[in-house]
Amino acid sequence: MRNRDLSFWLFLSPVLICLIAVVIIPLLNGLFYSFTDWNGLSLNKFVGLDNYTKLLSDNEFMTSFWFTIKFSAAAIIVINIIGLGLALIVTQHIKSSSFLRTIFFMPNLIGGLILGFIWQFIFTKAFAAVGDAVGIEGLKGWLSTSETGFWGLVILTSWQMAGYVMLIYIAYLQSVPQELIEAAQIDGASKFQRFRTITVPLIAPAFTVSLFLTLSHSFKMYDQNLSLTNGGPYNSTEMVAMNIIKSAFTDNAMAYAQSKAVIFFVVVAAVSLVQVFYNKKREVEL
Amino acid sequence: MKKGKLFTGIFSSLFLAGAVLSGCSSSSSGGDSKDDLTLEVFQFKVEFKNQFEELAKAYEKENKGVNIKVSTVGGGNDYKQSLTTKFASGEEPAIFNIGGPTDVEQFSDRLLDLGETEASKAALEGTLDGVTVDGKVLGLPFNQEGYGFIYNKRIFEKAGIKAEELTSYDKLLEAVKTLDSKKKDLELEAVFAFPVKEKWVTGNHLSNVFLAPEFEGNVLKAYESPTVEFKNSEGLKQMVDLQNDYSVQPTTSLDYSQQVEELFSLERVAIIQQGNWIYNTVYEMDPELAEKGIGIIPIPVNGESKMPVGVPNYWAVNTKVDEKVQKEAKKFLDWMYTSDTGKQAVLEDFKFIPAYEGYDGTKIADPISQEIYKYSEAGNTIGWAFNGFPIGWNEDEFGASVQAYVSGKLSWDELVKKNMDAWKEIRSQQ
Repeated sequence: MRNRDLSFWLFLSPVLICLIAVVIIPLLNGLFYSFTDWNGLSLNKFVGLDNYTKLLSDNEFMTSFWFTIKFSAAAIIVINIIGLGLALIVTQHIKSSSFLRTIFFMPNLIGGLILGFIWQFIFTKAFAAVGDAVGIEGLKGWLSTSETGFWGLVILTSWQMAGYVMLIYIAYLQSVPQELIEAAQIDGASKFQRFRTITVPLIAPAFTVSLFLTLSHSFKMYDQNLSLTNGGPYNSTEMVAMNIIKSAFTDNAMAYAQSKAVIFFVVVAAVSLVQVFYNKKREVEL
Repeated sequence: MKKGKLFTGIFSSLFLAGAVLSGCSSSSSGGDSKDDLTLEVFQFKVEFKNQFEELAKAYEKENKGVNIKVSTVGGGNDYKQSLTTKFASGEEPAIFNIGGPTDVEQFSDRLLDLGETEASKAALEGTLDGVTVDGKVLGLPFNQEGYGFIYNKRIFEKAGIKAEELTSYDKLLEAVKTLDSKKKDLELEAVFAFPVKEKWVTGNHLSNVFLAPEFEGNVLKAYESPTVEFKNSEGLKQMVDLQNDYSVQPTTSLDYSQQVEELFSLERVAIIQQGNWIYNTVYEMDPELAEKGIGIIPIPVNGESKMPVGVPNYWAVNTKVDEKVQKEAKKFLDWMYTSDTGKQAVLEDFKFIPAYEGYDGTKIADPISQEIYKYSEAGNTIGWAFNGFPIGWNEDEFGASVQAYVSGKLSWDELVKKNMDAWKEIRSQQ
């Protein structure tokens, strides 16, 4: 334990203090509030597990949770497929690959709220205009039904996140040893076989990281949801984060919202950790 | 290599420690010089931020030693969110805004009795209803606002319709049908633009027209009522159907800016259900249309046409600030609404429909507001009871279920039942 001397703690302290002040304390604070009737201003009494039992019969919360799960599942799959696809494209030896990387990554630089408004315009105006011109009814009235709202959100998120995930895949794809691939080529493996049996196992850590990032990102999404659909129509595209904020700041049920947030935190943490644990096992070392 | 690591370590820890420390110091640097009195106003109306700050400066000039610090945080929910956070973090603005009975209850221990102020004595009848508790006046009205059907005069004229005659549902329906049949000649996309996406348009405004009579138009009665009965459910349904059927589609994704800017201001629809607050937006798009081309009529209910006029917001003075500051805050509010300088600013700069007596009605800035003030003066109004509806009911229950209704996911009877239940449930939890 030579490491744990004074200077160890000294150097650690700035980070530790920050972490405790902005993460640990609020977390415990929130946990505490979820057992009370706090309304943001005054705290009158402890209510025990009342908030949590009420939560189980809260249809709206359950609906939004279910919606969030469906959304996350769709978004994670789409983002990772597109991300990996883009990474494969730009790691081929084509001339404009670094230019393409920049372009693909660009959407990630735009803030979520703005992105939501941009896509709102695309879905309601551009889609409708194209639909009119080509005569496809399916392109009209986007965001006015819950299905189009759902896919609108998935498209928006994929567009934003795919470039980011692409970067992670690129990093791992480039570290795949060229000689292994060449050896397989000499052995007569087809392009697809080489990809499936050599590249995929070797970039398994990239899947772990990307899945983790996209999972937590899609679960916690709020700003894109707010600006694109704002939960409409009839609250059917309302995700958990939005539901929590609504009970906290519209209904002033701060303590109740806090209990929702605690449950939400537990679920997201559990799902993410299980995913990481499971995927870690599949990773191979050279 | 080792040295390099040490340096990065020291550097980064210094940097972080610096960040932490600077975070602490900024919160303690709020003090002003000692003799001056600082009046902190925390208000939500973005639209008149600049004009309000001008007026505050004029007050500072007249009253040496008074500093008015105005912070503006816009939009309904955002404002309350920040206000609650501000209070929770121990910051206490001297003057802030409250919206009605709900806020009065939530912030009850912070509201100073303003019954003694001149402004509260000058307030028009009914404008203090929402903030009077046990004879104490806990807020002063900002202004009055009204809403109804805003129509395009040119289009009405061309179609041969006289707006003032549309005093019943049947007459309105007939006019809408006429407009609809002449859509091509009039270059209209549809008769209405009905923004079902904006849950406040249906949840606050439209519902109020048909539900307020149950509470005699009184916001406190609505606030105290454990149930809502939808006595005029049929009338409400007709009006939802009429606007939805003859609207630009799809209404569930039609929003406020499309309704007002894109469709109404560009004269692609003839009628929209909105209020006097749209005037500036229309003016920016088309000054001539705004000044001469638009008018407002009430939404007819049971053959009556009464304008829904109400007070959207109130000024409140915080009991948790220094007594001297409280006194100055009251003085400032009085000055704003009863002095000549203040009155002039209220009418000409803020472009408010005044909620106080002693104003010259003809000086009201825009034709829509003038029209509303006329109804108000004649007492031909119904109150804004919707500020007393249960928290979250207006938008998340009623507004959302109208979206489901127009999407065909919910029948009208189911909608009525669902909303009656929701009202009861929210009330029983309070």
